[in-house]
Amino acid sequence: MTVPRRTFLQSTMATGIALGAAPAIHALSKGKKYRTALIGSGWWGMNILKEAMAAGNCQVVALADVDQDVLELAAEKVTTLSGDKPATYEDVREMIDKEKIEIAIVATPDHWHALNAIAAIGTGAHVFVEKPTGHTILESRAMLNAARAANRTVQVGLHRRIGPHYVSGMKFLKDGLAGDIGMVRMFVHGGGGKEKPTPNSAPPENLNWDLYCGPAPLRPYCRKIHPGGFRNFLDFANGTLGDWGVHWLDQVLWWSGEKFPKKVFSSGGRPISGVPILNDNEQTTDTPDSQIAVYEFENFTATWEHRKFAGNAAEKHSIGCYFYGTKGTFHMGWRDGWTFYPLDSKQPTVHVDAEHQEPDGHSIKLLWADFIDAIESGKKPTCDIEIGHYATNLSLLGMMSYKLGRSLEWDGIKEQVVGDAEANKLLRREYRGPWKYPES
Amino acid sequence: MTPSMMATKSWVGVLAVIAVFAMHQPIPADDWPNYRGPNHNGISAESRWTDHFSDGGPRIAWRSNVGVGFSSVAISDGLVFTLGNSDDQESLFCIDSQTGKNLWKHSYECSLDDRFFEGGPTSTPTVDSEKVYSMSRQGDLFCFDKRSGKIIWSKNVRAETDVRVPGWGFASSPVIHGDRLILGVGEAGLALDKHNGEVIWKSGAGEAGYMTPLPFQLGNRWFALIASGKFYQCVDLENGLVVWRHRWLTTYGCNAASPIVVGSQAFFSSGYGRGAVLVDLSEDSCKVVWSNKEMQNQLNSSLLLDGMIYGFDGDEGGDVQLKCMEFATGAEKWSLGGLGSGSLTAANNRLIVLSQSGELVIAPATPAGFAPTARAKVLDGKCWTAPVLCNGFIYCRNAAGDIVCLDVQTQPKE
Repeated sequence: MTVPRRTFLQSTMATGIALGAAPAIHALSKGKKYRTALIGSGWWGMNILKEAMAAGNCQVVALADVDQDVLELAAEKVTTLSGDKPATYEDVREMIDKEKIEIAIVATPDHWHALNAIAAIGTGAHVFVEKPTGHTILESRAMLNAARAANRTVQVGLHRRIGPHYVSGMKFLKDGLAGDIGMVRMFVHGGGGKEKPTPNSAPPENLNWDLYCGPAPLRPYCRKIHPGGFRNFLDFANGTLGDWGVHWLDQVLWWSGEKFPKKVFSSGGRPISGVPILNDNEQTTDTPDSQIAVYEFENFTATWEHRKFAGNAAEKHSIGCYFYGTKGTFHMGWRDGWTFYPLDSKQPTVHVDAEHQEPDGHSIKLLWADFIDAIESGKKPTCDIEIGHYATNLSLLGMMSYKLGRSLEWDGIKEQVVGDAEANKLLRREYRGPWKYPES
Repeated sequence: MTPSMMATKSWVGVLAVIAVFAMHQPIPADDWPNYRGPNHNGISAESRWTDHFSDGGPRIAWRSNVGVGFSSVAISDGLVFTLGNSDDQESLFCIDSQTGKNLWKHSYECSLDDRFFEGGPTSTPTVDSEKVYSMSRQGDLFCFDKRSGKIIWSKNVRAETDVRVPGWGFASSPVIHGDRLILGVGEAGLALDKHNGEVIWKSGAGEAGYMTPLPFQLGNRWFALIASGKFYQCVDLENGLVVWRHRWLTTYGCNAASPIVVGSQAFFSSGYGRGAVLVDLSEDSCKVVWSNKEMQNQLNSSLLLDGMIYGFDGDEGGDVQLKCMEFATGAEKWSLGGLGSGSLTAANNRLIVLSQSGELVIAPATPAGFAPTARAKVLDGKCWTAPVLCNGFIYCRNAAGDIVCLDVQTQPKE
């Protein structure tokens, strides 16, 4: 990782001041408004930015998106909500050059996270980046190293580490009230069926499709990708395991204190949605419609499963983690809060409702406050980049095993698959055109 | 007088207009031949129905299932038409309005396209005398003989126009205007010869909005309001030219709700933070009278009754409110939560509301407030399709395609 000179100077200065006068800095920063930029200004990015604006500690100076309509709508909303008149950019590089950004929110599709976050860190900004951190493991590692080298705060959007019911549920588990936990099962089930191909078309005039694809292959455009569909295309994301999976895998790491597994195996496919199609005329999504992943840790094994069919909620819960303990079964859920089903039938079921913000049941308000506090105190944020990195790695290891069709033995210290050169190639990917893979 | 000038300030006025309309373009009084009804305003002219029933609900005349989708019903000469999807087959159903029996159906391959919602067809068939027209999410367009189900002509609009399918497919219902069939396909609509499907005019290839074109008359010329994802446009129905357009950029290009035209004024509304606007329109321009964020019709359209707009404000999954708003000023009169992302129709100055969770609620339409005279749970599951009152029966449908036909006749018919 090459640290640009300006960043190096800034981070050196920041360190020097922090050593000498940290309390003064903290006091001075009260009421400070950070020059904030949003990179990826669609639905979820705007949900984060709305919380940032509501917190009153940011001045929105810039918005970036490859879709001009999205940019126009986002800028209008920012002005309505805060009075700020952000500059709008199609190309993040131009924004980075022109704006003195202090905080960047990165909410693009996954394949753009690393380049954008590292560019923002390189300009001296603190970063709030959505999970997963990287699209491949070495991108994520490069983000972590860049954050550390430049001494920038990087918070990952793992709001399930800070949401009230997750916190109280985790305390219940860690207090031993479910007994000794021997196994964890993570799962996300929903509805779906066979997928018909969608015709390719010219991208809408408002969309810079080349820039959307960026470092990923320039596949033909179809309406199922943008807006809102990137997660189901492996060029841009890693399916359900690379989305929901990161949240629940992180719960397992949070509970266990582990950072990585010893072994990973995953199997799955598209038995219902069908063989992926991509040709000049049409395409389907290409992520698995069902998948199982097994994570073998030092002292326990955790499993992941997702299914995009038979979403008829025949089981008690369709999303979350079961922690199976000697005193009973604990379910950490989403909108259904958490529930402990005791083994002893004379004991009452224990339940705590979820407390969320809408839309989509999150706790970004708390996560944003924690982020600002971390910037100002110099402490690590609750969902620090390192935490996000390890949670993301679990999901990406699962996807690597799924693609290769074999178990992976993982050296979590070296971040290498043991004795499998082909697997290690999947720790990174080839970038397209002028884009350079971030070196860690 | 024109159909779109229907919603005038008094009910007496409305009835008078119906009389004129009926002479202009004869439609049996009890028919509901297309989306939003014969006058394209969501309001039924029925008076022979009761807005009082027990909590058990009105008598269920029949139930049916037509498969997944959000198509409402079109009713003509005792025939009920709607669309549904099962196993990636979309079907047009012709159902006997008295018995609920399927008289005929036509099925064709069409993906469910269940992205972020249940999927299936979102447009409603249209009956024009002896023909019924329908369009699928993917642009399959049909003209059938309404009694036999025989295909008179069919085509896919994509094949003829190179238009891009909008993100959530085509949602426009067919609109008959004279000899023409008007569709919300392409940036500013598509006109075909209704007799053979030949293209008369078309617009740019960009994404259509999700609304059904609304024809209206200014002076002696006919226009239609047609939305893309970025604009509301006034299109000359003679030649397809956009005579003016009003910037209306909405997230996901989701301009779905039908406008309301009264005289030379038009009301538009969209969700996703867009809001509502009333414009003065002329043959070459439009001018904003008022705009606000207090009425955001995301999925379903508002109604205008006696100078008041009634509609659902807000995005599905959020805090959606049924609201009453003054047409002339945009002033909110009342607001009521708890009905989810519901829908409504009206008759006899009564609102007939179907909540998202399938509760049918009937209340007088008044700016004084919402005071139901009857309410009953009539369907399970998600209901986003507006109820239809026709010939003494209310037709409600859920996303799974369950249709319930409720008897609200004041007295049983012969």
